[in-house]
Amino acid sequence: MTLLRLNNITRRFPLGSPLYGPRKYLVAVDGVSLDVEMGRTTGIVGESGCGKSTTGRIALGLEPPDSGGVLFQGFPLPRIDSKKWRAQRRQMQLVFQDTLAALDRRMTVSALIAEPLAIHGIGDPASREQRVAELLHGVGLGEDHGRLYPHQLSGGQRQRVVLARALAPKPSLLVCDEPVSALDLSVQAQIVNLLMDLQQELGIGLLFISHDLRVVRHVSDRIVVMYLGRVVEQGRADAIIDQPAHPYTQALVSAMPRLPGGFDHYVALPGEPPSPTDRPCGCPFHPRCPLARDVCRQSLPELLPLGPERQVACHVVRH
Amino acid sequence: MLHKSFQNSAGAALLPAHGIGASATKPAISIAGLRVAFGDVPVLHGVDLAVNKGEALGIVGESGCGKSVTWRAVLGLLPKSAEIRGEARIGDLDLVGARQSVLDRVRGGRIAMIFQDPASALNPVHRIGAQITEALRLHRGLSGAAARAQACRLLDQVGIAAAASRLNAYPHELSGGQNQRVMIAIALAGRPELLIADEPTTALDATVQAQILLLLKDIQRDTGMALVMISHDLAAVAAICDRACVMYAGQIVETAPKHTLLTAPEHPYTRDLIGAIPPSHGPRMRLTAIAGAPPQRNLPPGCAYAPRCRHAIAVCRTSRPEPRQVAARHSVRCLRLDAGTYQ
Repeated sequence: MTLLRLNNITRRFPLGSPLYGPRKYLVAVDGVSLDVEMGRTTGIVGESGCGKSTTGRIALGLEPPDSGGVLFQGFPLPRIDSKKWRAQRRQMQLVFQDTLAALDRRMTVSALIAEPLAIHGIGDPASREQRVAELLHGVGLGEDHGRLYPHQLSGGQRQRVVLARALAPKPSLLVCDEPVSALDLSVQAQIVNLLMDLQQELGIGLLFISHDLRVVRHVSDRIVVMYLGRVVEQGRADAIIDQPAHPYTQALVSAMPRLPGGFDHYVALPGEPPSPTDRPCGCPFHPRCPLARDVCRQSLPELLPLGPERQVACHVVRH
Repeated sequence: MLHKSFQNSAGAALLPAHGIGASATKPAISIAGLRVAFGDVPVLHGVDLAVNKGEALGIVGESGCGKSVTWRAVLGLLPKSAEIRGEARIGDLDLVGARQSVLDRVRGGRIAMIFQDPASALNPVHRIGAQITEALRLHRGLSGAAARAQACRLLDQVGIAAAASRLNAYPHELSGGQNQRVMIAIALAGRPELLIADEPTTALDATVQAQILLLLKDIQRDTGMALVMISHDLAAVAAICDRACVMYAGQIVETAPKHTLLTAPEHPYTRDLIGAIPPSHGPRMRLTAIAGAPPQRNLPPGCAYAPRCRHAIAVCRTSRPEPRQVAARHSVRCLRLDAGTYQ
């Protein structure tokens, strides 16, 4: 069953003052559609500035889309800050990269985990205490940790607290924005394992946003590849990594250090991602694309099916 | 206060400077018995390491294992509160406890270092041309048009297009990847024998990371300088290095040529580190999560990894392992290997 559906979402941010000349816009997200299934994981990959975080924020209703719609459990998301939206936020939670910023450093771990329960009016104080103990145990922390403050914990332990806090109101959707990027590889493995165990146990849907293709491949059922605000390719995780179709996905996959093998299959990508304030016309990827033709400079390729369960936005690979 | 002790470990006796093994190629730098403590907290517990000329060596480990501290101690970049013992020889010169004037000539000259965050390493109010020519003036005595022409050549060498016009750019006008290229150009200005790259690509995007790593590899191959790459990502290290050291809790626990380290790792920590990396192909297996955390202050009485090791036996908790040569160029610090009971 589809838990979350983004339908042709667009979000642009105005730049500079409206007084001088025509207004310029930063197009963060441009016509993005994606689904998150119940109990499954959809991963979004792309480089910085590709709009993956904005997509995550729109999915939660933290950011209104300029056009397009968000359907959660089949119904449109209520207006932001309305009573209904607040009630629904119980169902949808967010996990950030920077745990020290996400946790109030003057509150103990127990108080931090109990806070969302109090906000959503779940249970009475005694049952909340029990639920906090359950959650601490669930994310692999001991009861002693409950009395500590965020600065007394390691990065991995703080990410566990953030997870416990997100899971407290029993959400059905978890949006994880680079949840393991700031962690050491060994701690990253702990958190990734924990996340996958929790998903199996609780059946929550995950929208997993990361720039690390290896982690995204590991946790996701489906992968959405974004470039400059647009989806360039999406499909089943193993299919995307093993046989990338879009030239950008191919470059991204080849830049992933393999073990063993290193960069043996590396495809050099000229230049760096252009700024989203100044997008090239036609296909946004054409200035760096090895396959670019005249048609790529003129018209924007649409995301069209290529084989089963896969969509690609490219004029060239479709022929 | 920097302070130096002359009681060296056995490793020092093998140094070319001591007359043994002088026929072999002289290492670019050899570190012996390096110990660092901040107040009463020891962070390095005796590091012995030699980097050969023209070699690319990777140093891998979790945060806090001492991989950066080792090289900062060698270059005298640690705060004054650090207590450093042991030796680090570059040619006949011992850098530990060396005078500032000596270090000033070595740093940026014979040994250059680049860091994780290029934006904070570059001066935001100076044009990049001025920052590169400063290094050329200090270490090569170049000035004026000659320095500018050389700066242009350096930018070209690190793959920045339209180098001549880019000399006038400020760091904020360049992307993160380009700034890291500028840092590499500044590092190359002194024609170093050894370049230390401390997590050079951690802050960069995936495709840019590959570009910078391969650039470092190409430059190392072309110039014949030695390269030390510090990283927590074994896969990134393995992609560009010939040999790698795995560090844990202020000690090197395994050193081997890259291929051996990846295909036949001997130390349980190395195996666990490899298992923690999500595989890039094949079936998705559960990742190896290393339970617990590295020791915070003092080492446990036995092997430092014993509390987290899945193969630890009674002896691991009571006695300390010494490095043991298991094959040519492959040494491991593990007691179970000594006892022959580990497979």
